[in-house]
Amino acid sequence: MSSVSEPLVRGGSGRTAPKRHKSVRKNSRRLYSSYQNNQGSSDDEDKEDERVESDDPEEMFQNIQHQKEIIANIRTRPWPMRRKLKVLKQAREIVLKYEGRLTRTRGYQTAGADLLKKLSRLLYNIVVLFIPWEVRIKKIESHFGSGVASYFIFLRWLFGINIVLTIMTGAFIVLPEGYLQYSVLFYGYYGSVRKIGSAGYRLPLAYFLVGMAVFAYSFIILLRKMAKNSRLSLASASDENFTFCWRVFCAWDYLIGNPEAAESKGAAIVNNIREAICEEQEKKKDTSLAVLISLRILANILVLLSLAGSIYIIYFVVDRSQKLEQEKPELTLWEKNEVSVVVSLITMIAPSAFELVSQLEMYHPRTSLRFQLARVLVLYLGNLYSLIIALLDKVNIMSSAISVSSSNWTEPSSFLATISQPEVMSTAVPRNISTLATDATMLDPVTTIRGSVAVSLSNQTSVFEKNKQDQCWETYVGQEMLKLSIIDMIFTVASILLIDFIRGLVVRYLSDCCCWDLESKFPEYGEFKIAENVLHLIYNQGMIWMGAFFSPCLPAFNVMKLIGLMYLRSWAVLTCNVPHQQVFRASRSNNFYLAMLLFMLFLCMLPTIFAIVRYRPSQHCGPFSGQEKIYDIISETVEKDFPLWFGKVMSYVTSPIVVLPALLLLFMLIYYLQSIARSLKFTNNQLRLQLQTERTDDKKKVFQLAAARLQAPEPPAEVSTEQQDSDNTSHEASIQTPSPRRNGSVTNFQSPVSRGNSIRTIAQSASRSELSRAGTSRSPSVAMLPKHRLEHRKTIHALHPVERIITAPSFSGRRGHTARYVIVNEHEPRKHLLRSATRLPRHYVMEEPAEILELYPRNFKRYTARAIHHQPHLHRAHLSQQNLSEEEEEEDQGPSTRRKMPLGKTLRPKSLSDLHQPAHFYIGDRGESHCSRAKVPYEAPEEEEEAWEELQRKAPQAKVRGAEQSVRSRRGVSSSGRCSHHVEVKAKSRQKLEAPLTESDSASVASSSDQQNSSVDQYIQVIHNKERFVKAAARHGKLPKKKSKTTFDPNVTEVNDLVCSNV
Amino acid sequence: MFGLFVSRRLFFRYRDLAPQLVPLDYTNNPDVRLPYQLIGSMPELKDNPFRQRIAEVFSEDGEGNMSLNDFLDMFSVLSEMAPRDIKAYYAFKIYDFNNDDFICKSDLEKTLNKLTRNELSEDEVRMVCEKVLDEADLDNDGRLSLDDFQHMILRAPEFLRYNHSLYENHTVELCIGCLCFAF
Repeated sequence: MSSVSEPLVRGGSGRTAPKRHKSVRKNSRRLYSSYQNNQGSSDDEDKEDERVESDDPEEMFQNIQHQKEIIANIRTRPWPMRRKLKVLKQAREIVLKYEGRLTRTRGYQTAGADLLKKLSRLLYNIVVLFIPWEVRIKKIESHFGSGVASYFIFLRWLFGINIVLTIMTGAFIVLPEGYLQYSVLFYGYYGSVRKIGSAGYRLPLAYFLVGMAVFAYSFIILLRKMAKNSRLSLASASDENFTFCWRVFCAWDYLIGNPEAAESKGAAIVNNIREAICEEQEKKKDTSLAVLISLRILANILVLLSLAGSIYIIYFVVDRSQKLEQEKPELTLWEKNEVSVVVSLITMIAPSAFELVSQLEMYHPRTSLRFQLARVLVLYLGNLYSLIIALLDKVNIMSSAISVSSSNWTEPSSFLATISQPEVMSTAVPRNISTLATDATMLDPVTTIRGSVAVSLSNQTSVFEKNKQDQCWETYVGQEMLKLSIIDMIFTVASILLIDFIRGLVVRYLSDCCCWDLESKFPEYGEFKIAENVLHLIYNQGMIWMGAFFSPCLPAFNVMKLIGLMYLRSWAVLTCNVPHQQVFRASRSNNFYLAMLLFMLFLCMLPTIFAIVRYRPSQHCGPFSGQEKIYDIISETVEKDFPLWFGKVMSYVTSPIVVLPALLLLFMLIYYLQSIARSLKFTNNQLRLQLQTERTDDKKKVFQLAAARLQAPEPPAEVSTEQQDSDNTSHEASIQTPSPRRNGSVTNFQSPVSRGNSIRTIAQSASRSELSRAGTSRSPSVAMLPKHRLEHRKTIHALHPVERIITAPSFSGRRGHTARYVIVNEHEPRKHLLRSATRLPRHYVMEEPAEILELYPRNFKRYTARAIHHQPHLHRAHLSQQNLSEEEEEEDQGPSTRRKMPLGKTLRPKSLSDLHQPAHFYIGDRGESHCSRAKVPYEAPEEEEEAWEELQRKAPQAKVRGAEQSVRSRRGVSSSGRCSHHVEVKAKSRQKLEAPLTESDSASVASSSDQQNSSVDQYIQVIHNKERFVKAAARHGKLPKKKSKTTFDPNVTEVNDLVCSNV
Repeated sequence: MFGLFVSRRLFFRYRDLAPQLVPLDYTNNPDVRLPYQLIGSMPELKDNPFRQRIAEVFSEDGEGNMSLNDFLDMFSVLSEMAPRDIKAYYAFKIYDFNNDDFICKSDLEKTLNKLTRNELSEDEVRMVCEKVLDEADLDNDGRLSLDDFQHMILRAPEFLRYNHSLYENHTVELCIGCLCFAF
């Protein structure tokens, strides 16, 4: 950048380099945010400073590379120039300073690569200078915008194609034949000598191959271009609807640099916006008027009629010209060129007629433009096709005549029979009568009837003379195509001059002496109709392709034509046209044009292929004379010029045995690729949709939540009541609420925990099946509940106040992590986990109950089997937080402090691998402090010490009772606090244990995803309902609003935990 | 990136606007600013309805008076080779008339009026503004943030086209020849 700009800014701070560039690095990561806070944290910088100092060449190299990256990318930063220069200078200094320390070679390597890049860039720029008409197109673009320019770019591209085609035909057909001559243009000129010159150039073969190669090349180049375009267009999400935005923000063409253009652009923008408004309004009102419909029907009928008429006229003209040729010895200029003139006239006039007709229809401008294009395309195709069919008809007659005559000559008797009927002869007589007459066997009969023949044919001799040339049907077709092309060019030039230029002159100079304003009212200036002009180019190219096989010089001619057109058009556009009011969106239509061109190519190739396959080549002219079919040249060459084995191989390859499977394979491949493409498209759409919803929902929800939190402070009624009277009855009430479900008991566990409401919603949203399953496994534990009433009371009291306190400060780190973990796991493996770690809040918001439920059944089996063992350790981490707090209060009461030590030993996870074991210990925990000590017995594994065993002894009872009592408990039948004592003790001891573990555990839980994946059991319906979410958030309304995002998760996680423990 | 050639030419371009003000020797980084009247009369800008905004955005003082650095800055952003992100960013700033980091309704109205030279009626302007917000405002706060704007503008077909097509080849000449703020 700044070999120059450097001296310009000397004053910039130079010495702070090492520090500065660090912040730059961060900036380079985040483009925009860094713009605001460019002073990164300083500790980071220091660290990097050390790095710079380190002697490790690899690191140093990395650093230097990084600096270079900064230098290279500095252009992409939205900083003021002064800052850029500063940063650049610092980066440079660092590079210079440390580069010397590195081994030179590495530096050279990269420098070499850089140099190469620069060179290629330079070369590229030079090449650009040689792109033809670039300046001209730029000029047009700056005046008329990109739409008009797209026409010229398209023209130039076609020009390029034609150049290549010309080179192909020129190098392989025309030049080898030697000197130029008029007839070099056509098929008939070329000899059929198999080898030319000493080098043995095989002209017929070359002719055929080049003819095919022209098509092949065109196809390939077209498809490649289209693929490239579609890649570009795919990059933009085309479905997205920003009509108005784009019309406002992207409207101004910043390329415009002259006032006139600016004015017209301004007008165009106004038009454009008005059009969009109209469109918008039109969407609302329905236009199902009978009159309109009938008008449209009428218009379509008119169009169809004119199409049919044009096709008929062409057919008629071709037919007439044939008759004329047969009847008249000398044709006038008009008669000779009648066909092509008529075709060109139709192609000129019909589009305007269509345009008039389309005004009847009153479509939306864009729709009508599409209709117009389609109609014009059909017209052009119809013209070309009717012409070629008429020509081939004639060819048919010609070649059938030849075949009839030749077959007749071989059978004298039948010949005689036909001779006796002169009218048959009149069609069949070839010019070679005389030559054939020399045939000895024929001599006698011929001479005997010569008199009569001569009499009958005398009036047609002149026709024969002429037919000598026409016999060569290939030449004839080629001639017609060339004629058509020439006349088309003449008409184009004429129309440009007349319609655009003269009109422009008249409008400009006569407007003063006329009673109305010519410039703005009737004749106006000619508009440049991009779409139709492009279509005309396509049509022109179609003609070339159609005739290229029969007239090898047609592409060369087309090259000249295009050059002429380029200059003429660009001149006309700049002098006497105004841009089209409704600009056809060039960017969108690029592939549209190309698709039409491809369509044209295909349709134009068909007649040629048909003619090659169907008709016999002329016997006395052209490279294929004497052959049965044109493509025989291939088999002949293979036979004669290649080794024997090659012929054999070829015969195998072309046999149905190979061809059919190959075709099948091709079909399969196509089908396969297509289905892949479809699925990709589908996923693409899905992703886009997801992105959209994520963007919108996400934001909306966050805002909603923020709003909810504002209103939140008053805590939900239920909770408060629960808190206040935490005795048995209140308990029962909370128990009862979810009871209608079988596993209503599940919720009980949570209900005391100040989250009654949230739990209830969960229970409701859980699916039936799930619940029933859950119910079976869980009911026993539920049954235990009543036993702990006593303890419960206590915990509840303890918990609520404490918890409030905890939530605010302690949410920050750990809990958030574990919670995240739970959710992620439900969904899917590791990747998700990683990602979610970075953007947790969003994840929560996105979660939908449905998704989770869906996932659930998959793991159900395992779940039932192992849930008891694994779940808890997950929750442990979160809950332990609460335990901790409780602990503080309950510590004094706890008689079992001694348990702390042994348990601690066994429980502490020594490593990650250890982790799935430790899970067991925490199980008890899930009741944690709140209620469910009772559950411990089931889950507590053997390794636990006696205290636990003691509990286990009670377990059976609990189980048994659980079954019966689950019902009762729900009804509020209070059970005796029989086992409460034990449990309580245990609970306390456990809580204490928990404390030291939490940290390491939560960390490990978060980090070791393997284990989690293997025990998928923590599946748990973590169901996020918005309300719940909000409520949870509301409960912590004290938290500063600003934190909303971060604080949500903890809240939610808590909810989740609770839910999880239920499962 | 501006090459040596371009910078030098731009420097002379800058100097030509006011030869009496701008010294040839910039080694001491003199504090020279050209008034907006001079900048806005450049052929590249003079027909642009947003010329004043452009000058304001790129000038350090926010008034449209530009130092050489600002000038270089402007051309580097407006050049065809500037990356899309950066163009979107500055486009946002240009359309953000009141510099509040959001494109709100009043900004939109100003934009529209400048663009159409006050040819649209009030109703039309209001409707267009509504539609624009409707389309691009993802967070429903009634104004466009930078995110919204980028999301929208980077998908514009014109935007893509200009950034991929052959136009990007015209490096040197066209950077200077015309302002290629290509949307």
